[in-house]
Order: sequence, then structure tokens, then C-alpha cells
Amino acid sequence: MTPGVRRPAVLGLGGLLAAGVLTAPSAAVAQLRHEQLDNGLTVIVRENPVAPVVAVSLLVKMGTRWEQPATAGIANFVHAVMVKGTAKRSGAELAEAVAALGGKISATGEVDYSEIRASSLARFWRDLLGLVAELAFEPTLRTDDVDRERDWLLSRIQKRRDNAPSRAFDAFYAALYGSHPYALPALGTPESLARIDHAAIVAAYRAGYRPERMVLAVSGQVAASEVLAEARRRFGGMARAGAGVDPPVPAPIASAGRIELEMPAQQSQILTGSLAPGLDHPDHAAVKVLSTILGGGMAGRLFAELRDKQGLAYTATSYYDPVREPGALVLYLGTAPENAQQAEAALLAEVDRVRRDPVSAEELTRAKGYLLGRYAMDRRTNERLAWYLAFYEIEGQPRDFPERYRRAVETVSTADILRVAQRYLGALTTVVVRAR
Amino acid sequence: MNTVHGSRAALVGAVLLLASGCAAAGGYSVTSVGPPRPLREVLPNGVVLIAQEHRASDVVAVQLWMRMGGRDEASDELGLAHYIEHMIFKGTPTHPPGSVDRLIEGFGGTSNAFTSYDATHYDFVVPAEHLRATIELLGDLATNASFPPDEIESEKKVVFEEMNLVEDDPDRFLVRRLYEVAYSPHPYGRPILGTHEFIERLRRDQLLAFYRKHFVSRSMVVVVVGAVTPAEARAAVTPVFGRIPPRAAGRSELSPPPTLDRNRRVDVPRPEKQAYLGLAWKTAPTGDEDIYPVDLLTYILGDSPSSRLNQEVREQQRLVSSIEAGYGAWQKAGLVTVNARLDAENSEKAEAAILDVIRKVRETGVTEAERQRAIITAESSYAFDIETAEGLAKAYGQAETTWTLADEIAYLGRLRQISAAQIQAVARKYLGDDNYARVRFVPAGAPR
Repeated sequence: MTPGVRRPAVLGLGGLLAAGVLTAPSAAVAQLRHEQLDNGLTVIVRENPVAPVVAVSLLVKMGTRWEQPATAGIANFVHAVMVKGTAKRSGAELAEAVAALGGKISATGEVDYSEIRASSLARFWRDLLGLVAELAFEPTLRTDDVDRERDWLLSRIQKRRDNAPSRAFDAFYAALYGSHPYALPALGTPESLARIDHAAIVAAYRAGYRPERMVLAVSGQVAASEVLAEARRRFGGMARAGAGVDPPVPAPIASAGRIELEMPAQQSQILTGSLAPGLDHPDHAAVKVLSTILGGGMAGRLFAELRDKQGLAYTATSYYDPVREPGALVLYLGTAPENAQQAEAALLAEVDRVRRDPVSAEELTRAKGYLLGRYAMDRRTNERLAWYLAFYEIEGQPRDFPERYRRAVETVSTADILRVAQRYLGALTTVVVRAR
Repeated sequence: MNTVHGSRAALVGAVLLLASGCAAAGGYSVTSVGPPRPLREVLPNGVVLIAQEHRASDVVAVQLWMRMGGRDEASDELGLAHYIEHMIFKGTPTHPPGSVDRLIEGFGGTSNAFTSYDATHYDFVVPAEHLRATIELLGDLATNASFPPDEIESEKKVVFEEMNLVEDDPDRFLVRRLYEVAYSPHPYGRPILGTHEFIERLRRDQLLAFYRKHFVSRSMVVVVVGAVTPAEARAAVTPVFGRIPPRAAGRSELSPPPTLDRNRRVDVPRPEKQAYLGLAWKTAPTGDEDIYPVDLLTYILGDSPSSRLNQEVREQQRLVSSIEAGYGAWQKAGLVTVNARLDAENSEKAEAAILDVIRKVRETGVTEAERQRAIITAESSYAFDIETAEGLAKAYGQAETTWTLADEIAYLGRLRQISAAQIQAVARKYLGDDNYARVRFVPAGAPR
């Protein structure tokens, strides 16, 4: 996991997703079963016979997107408290129960959703679904756990602030998104967490955990029809509660300026970037390729030019995570303090170059290969496969999204790259955290 | 992440700590492989091909396993096998320095390599459409490595840095020292990364001689697992690896390491405030029937928070802040290790408490519930290992080079048949009161 990217928990997912697309589409589609239960909860099952394991991803529409400054971090806070115990067992007993299945279970609040994820030996899939349902529908949410977890989360926030890359990314997103909720850190702030009490946790849980707002995905060595029947039994009993009304979110207005901070650190952090299309925007694939040309691995321009040739940075990469609302294209350098000024100028020169000169056909081909290859690489485990299925569903994307996306990436042209570079990398927001 | 703390065991937790960076992994991780059987074919020149279709994702794992490792070095050339692992990636006449990493990265794939005592392996994972190109690259690296002189020099810094990393990390360094103390002067007791002195004056002709001696057809095992059929794998591998001239392996026979006694005890002054204690018992090597009960015994002793050592020494007596047991098996010997972090003043008491826990297993055995739990943990560890193409390829490559593929495939079935009495029997056979090696890291200034 890259330290520093925006949302602590999300990053593992977002960063990896930055890579790409589905694999053998026809085969994958053939193995999939979808069903919407009577109460509105969506279930997706993927039969994957390669190993005797199973993974479950339960996504719920609650996360940073629904938060405000006063409630920042509440989705993640709710999940921190949930795993401390259910009506049937304590947190420690839950851990024992899942270990007895050869498995694990965890929960987090992310940007566009929250997740309970679990995995175990395939032959215990029924028990595993039972534990996930228990955690989702019967968490105890005890008052003293709320206080204990708040302290723990506060210490994590402090740790994050002491970390130069994390601090830089948080400042960057705050500047880029302005009053849009994506400006908020997924962990919350000391101020917001102090205000979130037990009643608020319970209310947020009830507002989020409604069947109409949930997607359950299962991937592994299982029979889809059996899993669907069990899912109806375990998850179908929860009454409809209405999907709820999501408050309108203000459009992000990037500050398009330069912010400079200072903190004790070994390296200086330089981030520049701009708002970029969301997941279902027609430009999404082209911006993905643009991001790869600039910051995709060792052959990406930032690494090749700024690190390899000019020796101006240690870390030189880009991020463009798929999200529902406007995304962010971020170019990132970690550099020695004495090189910071020169590195920033060189970074901006790379932005100018990609907005001015067409990329070569060879560079374009490499970037597409890297992007699609990384996507296939990210779909190796059932945990990831289950997550992808649930993610596209909860983001409201068509079920053949991966295949559409692959085709879209393959058809991106040199002219498309120039066009999206000019369109999206015009007014830059820059954050520099200087080491002292 | 808000994790419910269950644990999926790392059986060879201790052994994995031996791994250094991109390199120098420890011994055989005793896992196993279930049904679908792989294709195994010996090419006329002796290269072994193992292939299996595995369609979790549209990628393929391509690994070259060499029957060559740290144990094949002469005592005055420690670190050669590992250094070659680094230099292989510096290319060939047709793949200049830097191009190997870029080629694989351009596919969106990954590359890695590991050097151990018995074997060395070079791993790639790429989208399946790049199978042929990857096999061709691997074949080129295995036969035409060019060892560019300036790259040999500049890589020394990288290896020194790796050595520093091991030494800076007390957990890893403890395991390293424990193996050294337990096995020395046997090759299993040597540092895989080698010695600073030897690497400092390492010459190109030494690398070339070792490479030519060991990178021969009968030492090579090519494993292909992923979204390709065995026939496709064979069609890609045969023309490349089949044309390597037939040559016998350059490895010589290795004797088993000595037995352990009270003389193998070392105290090491360290900068940390935390003290560390490591104990090691000599147990079964990879080919031995005892590996199954020893494996289960190790889980029961020190795998999870509910394991005996954790419950007794950490929870009840509060003598350590963490404790775990591991089992690393090599071709000629295995070690069961117990490692703990603790306050220096508790060192004697903790050691006595560990011995008490083991004595109790010897005297009264383990429960049926413990046995079943250990089997599930072992099974889970195995199942998640082989969930990915590269994980399954690794299990096969390791088995073929240090054990047998057939034993690997039968492993889980045999493990399930082990009784509680058999677990007790191996505790009696191997884990005695004074037949262990010991390393203690003592904080500077603490009483010895």
C-alpha cells in the first residue's frame, strides 16, 4: 500500500483499481448469477473453482460521499464499533468463530461505500455468510466501545497527520474538492469524532444498513444456486426500510491554487492535479491512459524523466481512483528538500508537455498494456473478485462495465490523450509539504 | 481497517523472516496441494516442465526453479547464489540492463526472485497473452546472462543495503542468528546474503563459473500455472528450454547437519530496548513422514492467540509481549523455532515457561479440538496460498526441487489422518529439554 494516498482505508482498493479491467469476459459472465431479493438487497455470486476458498464482500451505500464536516469519518467509525461484538458474541468470540472456519472478517468505511469483507475455507461458506449477516444486522454498538474506538481512531488520525505523504494528500483533496464531501478524510477529524456520540453511531448505522442500499457478492468454490438460497434466508428477512433520500452534494470547485505547508520530515511532498471524470464519464478510460502515461510504473514519464534521468525525486507516480462523483487526477513526487523547487518545475513542465505534444504510438501502446495487465493482476484472489462485483453494482454501473471499459481503453487514441490532457490538466491545484 | 483479529496462520512465520528483500527466502514451507493434478513432463535434456490450468484471472505465472542455492556455495564464496539472482535481472546480450524489468512492467506484470538453501526461483506473473514472450525471456536469462562488469559493481551497494536491512530488523536478524547457531558449520547455517568481505571483492569470473556450473538443464524446473492449457504451456516451453544442451546437475551431495546440544547458545548485545529470545529444535526434513505431525504440533504450540505458548507464556504468565512458533523444513533437516519478544529480566523465566509448555505436550499430549483446529489452520493456509496462479506455481516448484510433486499433492490428505497420539510422539522425539539451540538479543546495558 502506498503511504499517503488520501483515504487510508480506501487506498488499497482505489490504488489497485487504478489499474483496470475484467479478464476473460465471456467466461466470467457465464459464471455469474445476479438476484435482487424481495427486500431490495442485491446478491451476486461468482463460481470460481480454482481453490477451496470463498470470499464475501458486503457493500453498503454509506461513506464519505454522504458526510459533512461535522460528521466526517462517521461511516468508518460505525464499522470500527460494529466489529466489537454482535447480539450473539463478543468481538473476541467473533474472531474465534471465524478462525475456526480458517478465515477472517473485517469492516471499513470508504468513500462511496462501506464494506464488510470476509473469507474462509470454501466448505464453511454457509457459516461465513451467517457471520457476515450477524455482523451486518445484529451489531451491539455498545456505548463503551464507541468511546474506546474513538480514542483509537483519534490516534490513527494523529499518526496520519505526522506522516508527510498522508498529510499532503489530505491537504490536496481538501483544496481540490472544496465543499464537496470528497474533500473530507475517511477517518474523520478530531473535531468531528469528538462530536459523534453513541446515538449518532446508532442513527448512522440505521440509515445505512437497509437492504435497498446493500450489495452482497460472493466468489469462490461454491455452487451459485445454493449460495443464492442461503443468501435469501440470511439476508432476505430484513424488512424494507426505503433506500432513504440522499442529500444533494455541492459541486466541487477546485481552488486551482498553490498551497505550501511545512512539517518535520525527511522528504518533501509535491502534489499537483485537477478534478477528473467520474467512473461512468465517457472520458474515464482516456484519463486512465493519460494517468498511466504520466505515472504508470518505471516507464511512466514522471519516473523515467524526473527520477531516472534527472534524479529529482524518489517517488514519482500518479493516481486516478474510480469514484462515482468527479474524480481526481493526481501527480505525486516525493523528493529531497534541496531538490523540491526544481522537481516542482520539472513536474509542471511534464504537464505542459503532455498538453502540447502528442504521445507516441509506442508510448500509448505500452500504457494500455500496463493498465489492462495490472487490472487482470488485481483480479487474482476471490477477495478482489468479490469486491469488484459488488463495487460496480453499488456504483450503478452496467454489469458488463469491465468489458466496456477494456474496449474503451483499447480505442483511446493519441488525439484523445491530447484532448483530455488539455481539458483536465488546465487549472492545477498544487500542494507542497516542505520538509524541515 | 477494522479487523476482527482472527489469524490465518503463517506456519513458517519464522522461516519467512529469513527472506531478505527480493531474495534469500528460507526453507520449505510445508503446505500442500489438492486435487487437480498438474502435467509433469521431463524434456529429453532433463528440464522438468510442470503445468496446470488455473483460471481465477486472465494471468499466467511463469517460474523457473533451480536445484541450486546457498548450500551449493563453497565456504569461501558465501553469497554467490544470491548475487547471481540479482545479476540475472541485469540482462543478456539481447536484453540490456534495465530492459527486463521494463518489458515485464510493460505487460502490466510483476517479476521477483528468491534464493534459499536448497533452491532458487525466478518468478513472473503476466497477462496470459504474454506467455511466450515471458518464457523466451526466462530462457534467455537462464542461459545467456551477461553479468555486465559495471552492474556487478553497482549492485554491491544494493546487496550491502539488504544485509543492513536484515541486521536492522531484530525479528529477522534473530531468526538468521538462530539458524546460524543451530546449523553451523553446515551450509544451512550460512548467511544466504553472504559475507560483506566476500561480496566486496566478488569478481565476474566467480559469478560466471558458478552460473555455468549450476544453470544446466538437469537443474531446471519450469512451472507454468494460469489461464493457459498445459498444451499451450508445453508448446511455449519446449522450443525454448528443450534446446538447452543436456548437462548433469553441478550439485554435490550434502550431509545432514549435526544434532543440537547445550553448547549452541549465544547472547547478542543489541541496540533495541526490547529483548528477544529464540529457541530451535532440530526436527524432520522435507522427505520425512514426521513432517505432518510436526507441522500440526507447531500450529498447536504457537500459531494463534489461542495457541498454547500464547495462552500460557503471554496471557497467563505475562512473561513475553509476543510469541510464535514456526517450522522450516529443508531437504536435509528441519527446525522448529520459538521466538519471543520480552523484557530482558524475564528471559530465564520465559525460557523455563516455554519448556514447561512443551514438556506438558510430551507428557499429556494434545486435545482432539486442538488437532482439528490445527488441521483447519493448515488447510486454510494452504488453500489461500494456492488461490493465485503464482501461489500454486510456487507450491509445485518448491515440491519438485526440494521434495516431490506427488508428496505435495498428497500432503493435505496425509495431514488430516494424523492423530493426537502422533503429534505427542513427535514432541517426544524431537522437542527435548536440552537439545535446542538458543539465541538471546540482550539490550545494551541490561544485566546478562
